[in-house]
Parts: sequence; structure tokens; C-alpha cells
Amino acid sequence: MDFTFNEDQLAFREAISRFLAAELPPEVLRKNWETEDGCSRELHRKMVEQGLTGLSVPEAQGGLEMDDTAWVLLTPLLGYYAIADSVVDTAYTATGLLSALPEGDHRREELLTGIAGGDVGVAVAHQVNPLVVDMDLADVVLVEFEGEIHALNQEAVSYECNTSIDSSRRLGRISVQPAPESRLLENGRDIWAETLNRGAVGVAGQALGLAQRMLDMSVEYASQRQQFGKPVGSFQAVKHHLADVAEKIEFAKPVLYRAAHALANNERGSDLYSSHAKLACCEAAWLAARHGIQVYGAMGYTWEADLQIFMKRAWALDSYWGDRAFHKSRVAEAVLADDALIGPQHTFEE
Amino acid sequence: MKLTFSPEDEAFRNQIAGWLRNNLVGEFAELKFRGGPGDEHMFPEERKRWEQKLAEGGWTCVGWPEAYGGRGLSIEQQVIFFEEYARAGAPGRMGHIGEGLAGPTIIAFGSEAQKEKYLPGIVAGTELWCQGYSEPNAGSDLANVQTRASLEDGKWRIHGQKVWTSLAHESDWCFVIARTEPGSKAHKGLGFFLVSMHQPGVTVRPIEQLTGTSEFNEVFFDGAVAEDIVGAPGEGWAVAMGLLGFERGVSTLGQQMQFQNELDEIIRLARANGAARNPGIRQRIAEAHTGLRLMRYNAMRMLSSSQDGQADSSALVYKLHWASWHRNLGALAMDVLGPEAELIDDAPYELSRLQSLFLFTRSDTIYGGTNQIQRNIIAERGLGMPKEPKGR
Ligand SMILES: Cc1cc2nc3c(=O)[nH]c(=O)nc-3n(C[C@H](O)[C@H](O)[C@H](O)COP(=O)(O)OP(=O)(O)OC[C@H]3O[C@@H](n4cnc5c(N)ncnc54)[C@H](O)[C@@H]3O)c2cc1C
Repeated sequence: MDFTFNEDQLAFREAISRFLAAELPPEVLRKNWETEDGCSRELHRKMVEQGLTGLSVPEAQGGLEMDDTAWVLLTPLLGYYAIADSVVDTAYTATGLLSALPEGDHRREELLTGIAGGDVGVAVAHQVNPLVVDMDLADVVLVEFEGEIHALNQEAVSYECNTSIDSSRRLGRISVQPAPESRLLENGRDIWAETLNRGAVGVAGQALGLAQRMLDMSVEYASQRQQFGKPVGSFQAVKHHLADVAEKIEFAKPVLYRAAHALANNERGSDLYSSHAKLACCEAAWLAARHGIQVYGAMGYTWEADLQIFMKRAWALDSYWGDRAFHKSRVAEAVLADDALIGPQHTFEE
Repeated sequence: MKLTFSPEDEAFRNQIAGWLRNNLVGEFAELKFRGGPGDEHMFPEERKRWEQKLAEGGWTCVGWPEAYGGRGLSIEQQVIFFEEYARAGAPGRMGHIGEGLAGPTIIAFGSEAQKEKYLPGIVAGTELWCQGYSEPNAGSDLANVQTRASLEDGKWRIHGQKVWTSLAHESDWCFVIARTEPGSKAHKGLGFFLVSMHQPGVTVRPIEQLTGTSEFNEVFFDGAVAEDIVGAPGEGWAVAMGLLGFERGVSTLGQQMQFQNELDEIIRLARANGAARNPGIRQRIAEAHTGLRLMRYNAMRMLSSSQDGQADSSALVYKLHWASWHRNLGALAMDVLGPEAELIDDAPYELSRLQSLFLFTRSDTIYGGTNQIQRNIIAERGLGMPKEPKGR
């Protein structure tokens, strides 16, 4: 077992991290909230220039063909800077789905090339999400229909667009009429199952990054806010709150990496691992929000404090690509299955 | 121990239920189930009129002694009153700070003249109050207030800034803790002042909350005149703390009924959308129900041991329990809603009742003494443990 990343992966993360730190102070996020889409198209352009959208696209279609393990370094960064969903949905989740389709299909090739070039945004409509995220930004929607995979142009889908408590998110309730012409694959069940896992791992990574952001902000606030003549961060009650968050974050990381590794290698246990990751990372984010606002006191309850940007995103992502109940029951089913392998001899098996 | 209501009590129940049925109609019908936690900014004008309507029926300040315009209800009848009020879905009270905090404090610590001057407006529902305690540098460390009160030409004038002042923008009066002795520290040298909000020298600036609405404010006092001081100059801390005791008194009963309404709504929703079939959700609903029962019985015990409506020391644990319970209830509401929980009703930021509940309950463990401060109080005052080392 090896939890280290290769140099290319780390260098790419470093570059993206510098880019996001420069481009995305919280004021910019707030400005984007005021826009129709909730996020900035110009920023999207710049991310395309950084190569983000082509990260997983096969080389044949102009991408870098990196796998899920590269993404688990990036999704936490995207979470840390509260990047709107369309990036991960298109460049990671949808790209994973399209790449898994049989080669040679011209629409597959066309879409992947478009994604790599930053010209095509793709939304994914999977049963587990009753609402489709960023419908308004997508050119194409991938739709599940009785196990089939369909690709529909946005114009062919009627939807009603709403906002989320996270003001960067747009949610669409869609109604579609899939037709033989829109079908990409007849038996897409396995790919849909994999897509669900990938979606969950993508959210998990972002949740982890959100947790880290909220923790960093809380540490800073508690170190500077004075009461009783000293920083509130000097009180054990406050310190311990944040130490608990740090613990959750650190323990969630390898779980996330494990899930990405399973996805990249088509392992049988992917369902279980991605549910682990989703649960562990979202729990870290949930706790970071709960303790973050507590440590901020009344200031944390204001619109003005930037903490709210990240809390709301964490709350919104909590049930995206499967809520807690969904993932917990997947874990329970796997562990309690009649043929589940239990006992110490299996503990470190995978 | 007596856990049942007498026939007179039941007759009283019919009386209040009937009154609410007959009066929560017409212009007030739209107020049903409104104005609760997270919804306080809604229908302020209508709810002010509702306060006066209640007063006409004699239903404000029901626990106050009759001598002060109250109804002098027994604890049992107050319980019934709050039950029926919640059952009818009558709106969140705009007058609760006056009725629950300012009034009882003036009754306990004020002069006869002050009682005559201030209590009738509270009883009539015509004068609303807000609480001027917190300041930018005096949150948990309340004793660090820096707002000054100085005697100028025989009048107390207030200089300084308060913050997080709930409903200041709707209020007629504010009770303010301010320093009467320049250079004094901590609990010493404070005064408890009654200040009209309608005068030059008082500026109210709303603070936007993460809900996108504004229920609390910054309040600036630039030489505003305080019409009265309750208690002696320099002894305001004792009054201020006495007031906090009322916060844990009978008004908590009304709050519990509100909680019950919220829990009922969550249960209805869980049944309707299938969440109630999920074992995890079922257990949390059961826990929420149990927690609310604990709260109720504890409140009744607490109140029956101190008939004057002021809580005894067993009340120390009360805030920590309800605040944490309510915060969990907010989270439960979101989980019952599932993936739809994040969906906003309307642009720009129109929250549903349960979303407001969720966001608002993030603050329950902060205002009125944070959970951490509550635990310190339980440990130090309740258990007599050594005090934590402090900066000063
Ligand atoms: C919705 C809302 C309504 C409010 N309405 C009013 C109002 O009407 N009138 C009014 O006067 N005030 C009001 N307040 C203010 C409220 O009373 C304060 O927010 C509260 O006392 C905490 O102070 P603070 O926000 O400054 O937090 P801080 O005191 O800065 O606390 C920050 C963090 O440090 C912790 N901490 C501080 N000291 C200690 C310690 N000694 N040991 C351990 N931990 C510690 C706190 O628990 C918290 O987690 C309101 C607040 C809210 C959120």
C-alpha cells in the first residue's frame, strides 16, 4: 500500500493552488453570487487555460489522461476556494463517464474534445440527485434512463432553475424525453454505478477542502478575537473544538485517497470505498461548520463573515451524490452481507 | 407532586383556546405559525397590532401579578396558556423582551414610579423593548462593557456602542448596561439604564445575518438621555444578572411549545416523504422527542420549586440543554428534507420555514451565553469547581 503521490500530480496541485489563491479571494466569490449563473465565466476560462478541464480527458482527445488519484489532490483545493460545481461535474464526473464509453463513438469524441478545450460544459442527471446542478451552464446533459445513457443538448431539456442556500449553486428540476437519437449506450448500468461513485468522491474531496478552509479561518479568528483579556483560542473549550475538526480531517484524507485508487483501478469494492469517503469527508465538513460558527460567536452568524460562504457550501454538498442515509446504508449492506468477509484475517486485505 | 390539571384549569383552557380561535382571524389569520425562530423579521407591523389585540383580551403578561396589570396566573395556567397559544399557531411574540425580561426586572428591582411609568406600556403591547448588553468587546465577557453613562445637568447620558441588539429597529425602549464610574473594571461601577430609542443620539444600524435577513443591529448612543436607572449607580451588574434569571423562567414554556410545533412539522414531513422509513432518521426523531420531554419536565420541576417565576439553581443546565437540542433539531430537519434541503423557495434568498429553522438554530448555542460559557457556569457555580485561569 502506498499513499504517496507522484511528482507530476503534486506539481499540478501546486500550480492550481497558487492560481486559485490569487484569483479567488472571498470578495470575488461574493461578486459571483450576484451574477445570473452564480459563478464567473471568465474564471472558468482561466481554469481551462490551467488545463483543469482536460485533466482526465484521454490524450487522443487533447487531454492529460490523469486518473482519479490526481483528482483527489485537486477536489480539496476546489473545495477550499469554493469553486462552483460545474468544473468538477464536467471535468471529473462527466469526463469519467464519457471516457468509459466504447471508443469510436463520434459523440463521445466530440464531447471529450470540447471538454478538454473548455468549450463544452456537461451536467449529469443521475437518479440519486433529484435536482441537476448547473443545468443553466451546461451545453449538454447526460441523463440516465432505465439504465441507458443519453446525451441531450440543453435546449432539448425543459427545466426550472432554482438557487441553493449556497448562492453559487443552481439547481434544475428537469423533465426530458430521451429518444433513440440521444442514446449513447444501451446498457449503461455499470458506467452509471461507477459515475455515482465518482460523483460521491468528487464531492467528498470538495467537502474535505471546505473543512480545511473553515478550520483555517476558525483558527485564525480564535487566535485574534479577545475576550477576558486573552484570545478566545486560548480557552480549552475552543481549542478542543478545533482539534476535533483537525482529527476528522486528517482521518478522512486517506479514506478519500483509498476511494480514488479503487475507482482508478476499477476495483470491486468501489461502492464501499466511495461511500466511506463521502461519509468521512462530509462529516469533517459538517463538524468544521458547526464548530466554526460556534468559535466565531455571533460574528459567525452574519452575512459579512466569510465563514458563511464555506459553511453553506458544505451544507449544500452534504446530500449531493447521495445523502448520509444513502451512503450509510450502502456501507451497512456491504458489511452485513451474508458473504461479507469478517475477522482479523481480512482486516488489512484491501 | 401533582401532574394533572384541575377542572378550573380545564375551563381556563377552553377560555384561552376559544379566544384564540375567535381572534386569530381576519388580518391576523396570515400570522399563524409566523414570526418564530428565524422568522422574526416577518410581518412586524401586523404582529405589533397582534400584541395590542392580545392585550385587549388580557393575554399579555399573564404571569405577572394583577397589581401590575398582569393576570396573576398560576404556573399550571401559564402552562396551559402557552400550550394553547402554540396549538393555535399564534405568532411569535414581538413583546417578549419587555414581557419576559424588562418587566420582571422592573418589578423586582425598580422604584414604584418606574413601575407606573413602564409596566402599563408593556402590558398594553404598545411599547417594545430590546436588550443592550453585548458590545464589540463584551460578548462572553459581558462585564467588559465600555459604554459610559455620565451625569450631565442632572441627566444620565449614554455614550458608546452596543451590538447584536435583537429587534432594536422595532423597539421603543432599550435596557442598557453602562459604566457609571469611569475607570471601573469588570462587574463594579455599572448601571442598568432605561433608554428611549426615539431620540437624537440613538442610531440603529441593521446587521445582515447569514439568513440574508436582519433581526439584530448595531446601536450607537451618542449622548442619548437615559430616563431612568434601575437600582443604584454602580450596582447595575446585580440587576443585569437578576434579569438573566428571568430568561430561564416561565417564558421557556412558550419556547417549548414552539419547539413541539417544529418537531411535529418535521415528523409530518418525514412521514410524507418517506424519510420516516430510514432507521437513522427514526432514531433521531425518537431522540428529539425524548429530549423535548426532558426539557418539559425539567421546566415544570424548576418552576414548581420557585413559584415567583424566577428560576433556581437547577436552571443552570437549562440553556445548554435546549440550545443543543434545538441545534440538533435544525440538522434533523435538513436530513429529513434530504437532497431538497438546499433548495431555495424564491430569489433572491427566500428561505423555507425549515431552512430558516436550520440556519437560526446555528445561533442558539451562541446567544444568551454560549454553550462553552454555560458549561463553565455549570462546572464552576453548579459543581463548585475551581475557576479557569483568566486574563484578568
Ligand atoms: C441571534 C443572536 C441574537 C442576539 N441578541 C442579542 C441581544 O438582543 N442583546 C444582546 O445584548 N446580545 C445579543 N446577542 C449577543 C450574544 O449574547 C453574544 O453573541 C454572546 O454572548 C457571545 O458573545 P460573542 O458573540 O462576542 O462571542 P465571543 O465571546 O467572542 O466568543 C467566541 C467563542 O469563544 C468562546 N469563549 C469565550 N470565552 C470563553 C471562555 N471563558 N471559556 C471558553 N470559551 C469561551 C465562546 O464560547 C465562543 O465559542 C445575540 C447574538 C445572536 C447570535
